[in-house]
Amino acid sequence: MSDPVKLVVDAEKCIGSGMCEMLEEATFLIDEDTNIAGVVGEGLLPADRAAAVIDRCPASALSIAVQN
Amino acid sequence: MNTVVAQPPVNVTDSHLYLDGIPHDRFAALRAQPGIAWHPYGDPTDDSAGFWAVTRHAEVKEVSKNPEIYSSALGHTNLWDLEADALEARRSLIDTDAPDHTRLRRLISSVFTPKNIRRWGDLTRSVVGDVLDDFEAADGGDWVDLVAAPLPIRVILAILGVPIEDADYLVELSNYLVEGTGDEQSLPADAFGNTTELRLLPFNSPASHAMFEYGARLADLRRHDPQDDMVTMLVQAEADGEKLSASEFRNLFHLLIFAGNETTRTALSHGAVAFAEHPDQMQRLRHDRSLLDTATDEVLRWATPVLHMRRTATTDAELAGTAIGTGQKVVMWYASANRDDAVFDDPFAFDIGRGGGNQFSFGGGGPHFCLGAFLARLEISSLFDQMAERGLGLRQTGDVQRCPSNFVHGILSVDMEPMR
Repeated sequence: MSDPVKLVVDAEKCIGSGMCEMLEEATFLIDEDTNIAGVVGEGLLPADRAAAVIDRCPASALSIAVQN
Repeated sequence: MNTVVAQPPVNVTDSHLYLDGIPHDRFAALRAQPGIAWHPYGDPTDDSAGFWAVTRHAEVKEVSKNPEIYSSALGHTNLWDLEADALEARRSLIDTDAPDHTRLRRLISSVFTPKNIRRWGDLTRSVVGDVLDDFEAADGGDWVDLVAAPLPIRVILAILGVPIEDADYLVELSNYLVEGTGDEQSLPADAFGNTTELRLLPFNSPASHAMFEYGARLADLRRHDPQDDMVTMLVQAEADGEKLSASEFRNLFHLLIFAGNETTRTALSHGAVAFAEHPDQMQRLRHDRSLLDTATDEVLRWATPVLHMRRTATTDAELAGTAIGTGQKVVMWYASANRDDAVFDDPFAFDIGRGGGNQFSFGGGGPHFCLGAFLARLEISSLFDQMAERGLGLRQTGDVQRCPSNFVHGILSVDMEPMR
């Protein structure tokens, strides 16, 4: 098991394809009004699954949150 | 940086090559070359006429995912350039970059998300049941005519809200559009009452005019009398206070009918041929239906309904060590990427358990990722699932008649018999 990482959505880039919602439906939800993906709750995923969903996002709108 | 690249000893754009299937040996030769190969195209006396032939999976993905370098809005997304007015008149979601693309796509994306496509599951399964009943009742025949063509057009028309009695007319129009991707057209320029210059119409086809007219009429009807269908959703769609313009609507309607019909028909046809040639794979699916998802991906990889898409470099760039110049054409050959052995073990084996989710039949993973991908998946998976359910196998009883096109991997007809 890889350590969980926190994911964020770039709302400018998101095209609302629903890919993230399909791959990780507990983590992402497309907003019904804006058609933009948002993170549900903490937005935490194991690093390997995070890498997969980041790679599959057609809009390259997902990234790992920068830690402060 | 490697700026001088040998011309490939091969041509992959001659449409007639594709009558015998994808020229896989030529693509293999291109993939094996270091860097990216320059492919002459167009005026043979002009050294600058041509494109970069991107044939490996890794670089197709790189081009696809970097739309700020590799534009869809410049020139055209087909091999040849369009004049500025024609490009403007024909512009659809396919020929735009961010931020226009993002705005337009977002306006309609909710209709096509996996979650929202599920609502069409029952309708799709029922259409699949009908066409398979027809195929079995006729004891076989032309698979395209009996199954692969009617299935997607009935589904997309039902979803859009087009009356079923108009289905044949729209199939006919769609067939003429496919013709427009080849070298010859049988329609006169003024067919269907067209008065628009052909170069301003998608596929240079007067059938596009007819489809625009049809779509505009239907949109008018739904504006005044909303129904529970996709045309109503599209005429009502709004984001940031904006709606689709009339030109955006007609180009989108055209795109949905063509792309939602022709490409899925192609996938269902190649899928049938593949299962007929590999009956063991249908047996496998019959015994393990959990393979349906990976089987759908494999049918898509096998079929590659759209052979390529073109981008145009907005800036000087480097791809696989090759210098790409501003304004040059860069063509992603999905047909080649889908057989790249760097990604797919034994790529010429039809293996429904392959998995990996990395086939490029919906594009190379960038923002132009096929809008209808999840609908196409639903249709393909419903068909092969019900065949497995019925224990219905196929025996191919005639040759595959292909489209002479370097753009769509179409099958015009192939005779099949049901086999139990």
